[in-house]
Amino acid sequence: MSAVLEIENYSLDYATAAGNLHVLDQVSLAIAPGEVLGLVGESGSGKSSLAAAIMRLLPTNAREQGGAIRLGGENLRSLDQPRLRAIRGRRIAMVFQDPATSLNPTLPLGRQLSEVMECHLGLARGPARTEALALLRRVEITDPEAIFHRFPHEVSGGEKQRVVIATALACHPELVLLDEPTTALDVLTGARILDLLSRLRTEFSMSGLYISHDLSLVSRFADRVAVIRRGRIVEEQPAPTIFRAPLEPYTRQLADAVPRPERRLVTDAAGENELLGLTGLSVRHGRPVLLPNRVKIAVEAVSFAIREREIFGMIGESGSGKSSLARALAGILPFRGEVRFVGRSIARPAEMDRAYRRAVQIVFQNPDSSLNPRHRVAQILARPLRLFGATPAEIPRLLEDVHLPASHARRFPHELSGGEKQRVAIARAFAARPRLLICDEITASLDVSVQSRVIELLLALRRTHGTAYLFITHDLNLLRQIAHRVAVMYRGRLVDLQYTAALGGTDVHAYTRDLITASPAPVSG
Amino acid sequence: MSLLWLMRRLLLIAYTMIVVSVVVFAITEALPADAATMILGQNATPAALAALRARLGLDAPVWLQYWRWVWPALHGNFGISMRTNLPVAPAMLAALSRSLMLAAAAILLMLLIAVPLGLAAALGRSGPIDLIAGLVSYLGVSLPEFVTATMLLILFADRLGWLPATGYVSPARHLVDGVRHLVLPVVTVALVMVAHVVRMLRSETIDVMASDYIRAAHLKGLPPRVVLFRHALRNALLPVITVVALDVGYVLGGIIVVEQIFAIPGIGRALIVAIQSRDLPSIQAGALMMAGTYAVVNLLSDIAYALLDKRIRYE
Repeated sequence: MSAVLEIENYSLDYATAAGNLHVLDQVSLAIAPGEVLGLVGESGSGKSSLAAAIMRLLPTNAREQGGAIRLGGENLRSLDQPRLRAIRGRRIAMVFQDPATSLNPTLPLGRQLSEVMECHLGLARGPARTEALALLRRVEITDPEAIFHRFPHEVSGGEKQRVVIATALACHPELVLLDEPTTALDVLTGARILDLLSRLRTEFSMSGLYISHDLSLVSRFADRVAVIRRGRIVEEQPAPTIFRAPLEPYTRQLADAVPRPERRLVTDAAGENELLGLTGLSVRHGRPVLLPNRVKIAVEAVSFAIREREIFGMIGESGSGKSSLARALAGILPFRGEVRFVGRSIARPAEMDRAYRRAVQIVFQNPDSSLNPRHRVAQILARPLRLFGATPAEIPRLLEDVHLPASHARRFPHELSGGEKQRVAIARAFAARPRLLICDEITASLDVSVQSRVIELLLALRRTHGTAYLFITHDLNLLRQIAHRVAVMYRGRLVDLQYTAALGGTDVHAYTRDLITASPAPVSG
Repeated sequence: MSLLWLMRRLLLIAYTMIVVSVVVFAITEALPADAATMILGQNATPAALAALRARLGLDAPVWLQYWRWVWPALHGNFGISMRTNLPVAPAMLAALSRSLMLAAAAILLMLLIAVPLGLAAALGRSGPIDLIAGLVSYLGVSLPEFVTATMLLILFADRLGWLPATGYVSPARHLVDGVRHLVLPVVTVALVMVAHVVRMLRSETIDVMASDYIRAAHLKGLPPRVVLFRHALRNALLPVITVVALDVGYVLGGIIVVEQIFAIPGIGRALIVAIQSRDLPSIQAGALMMAGTYAVVNLLSDIAYALLDKRIRYE
């Protein structure tokens, strides 16, 4: 049977001020009818550029260096704009990573769905609407009539992604490009979207290209998996084998970086004494002005205690109050309730004195916004050093601690990679020699392989300094590798607190069990 | 947008007006010569001054003077003009209505020029239209309106003789002549705003066109026309509303100069005359009316924003 999509020796460069940058190098791939091919690579590997090349929507500095991209035998590279428009949305459709940004905020969802059918199938508004409602039912939207008239901000992330999927499938395309369709979603929502996609795959006898950085996720969904590195396909195998028996060292590295709950990375126990305790801690956003406003409760009466040298894991979906809690403990947000630090009671952020603020440090999710872009690394690190009585002479040692060369001190944040930036943020936190480090989703924006190196670094630092961590993440498998205990947040409340070993048991909260089911362990090797 | 929000905004406008009225009253109080000196002149005897002060109520405590002014003002009575001895309110309202017509015409003209120009500049980025739009913007921003007005007068009224130089004819009474008198002042006022809006719309459109949802719209295979008008335009125009509302503040200020140059009997010219003759009731009424107009326009822009952008829900 002939391939739906066939890419042959395709090469692509980006023209930059520093000369041509090779993005894709002699890429050859084929997708058979009804087949889903997984494309796995880290950020910068060229996987998104390949998607752009297939959709023929390349940036203006792209320079194609030869090769063919054939859809049903027809070379897309030779088509003009009107003929490409007839193909986009009709024969190739795309599901994007973040439904929050890929939907127009000022257009009703139904309109964004039905316009594809009006455009390609020549339907009038009425019939397009009927079709759209039927499609919304097929993507398991419970109240299609209501969703049809709503705007993106009025529905949940999962519902948005379902609308995006319905839009992609509206004209029964030959090929669907799935660009990390679950990455921007919560764990539970992502798992449900993946279930939906698996079902629709058969219903629509869909052929697809599934692009992701997560080898474990892709090998569960795709039939075959291709691994891309620096613009080259390094390995291509059937999905079940590639994860279990990768041929290339690089693929092996990717497979190893995926967190596996059965492989504990922390063996020592936590200390006995309480380091930081909280009783009935609440955080509210907004305050009444003029007339009573609606006050949003972010965290409601949470109590727990973190012990010395403990890795205290915290998990929950976005909006569950994890970050608000972290910020309250770091002294950034006002709170109610009691915080105890080494036995000393703190009732207000104002009572968090210099000693407390030194001992409790926080690292944020996004180093791009938490590092001052106009300061060199040396300046970024010098401030906490001076503030806490050390000298800038310690900068080389700090950088060495986070495995960065001392020469990086002269660089600006934009001259560093994502992983390096996060290391600088960690070094800044350790400049104060904290006793507790709050890690707020610090690996969420990093590739799996970079994440595993950052985790290794944190564990090494803990061995040297005896630091305790409040480790907030949405990756339960990661927590099962490193945390002593796991706290589960749901809608501002602490619904479960378990020793990591007890998570597999029966005595867990229903929501925790849902999370465990939604985070399947990778196929073990 | 809830009723509660609307009530709160109206409350806020009332609050603003109270503050403005106090400030306006305080400023006129702080003028070096009081009303009695103004009326009787420098050489008046102290006895005559004291008598007049007593008659005008100027010897009463300040808060009582404020109250005696603000309470009738609330009922539309701003007192008697010291210059004309006629009631202030009807004269100032008539002047305000002429100014508002001038401002509305200028804003309309500005939008007709700026929206297509800003869009074209963004879409043909770094092309000839973008260059022209940039040039027009810089000229508009950097030339003060008295320079633009003078240049327009020299060219169109003096050299070419196409349009009347100054004066005002009510368009309601004589349409063609009225409009001919309005053209030059309207163009002058519009020019600076064109600059603001073109620059704003250009950068907004560039941002919107680079956004994920526009990329998604292209990838749906929609024709460029549909992508631009259905998906991009509304989102790019939204921030322009705010700029236009802010520009109304500029118009109310700039109109004073323009009305003076073109001899249009609007609120700006009325204020200048009132200030020159120390006509306190007229100054107070004019300043209050301008502040009120600005507050109302801002409320209207907020409402328009909410109607166009469904994400905004005032609570």
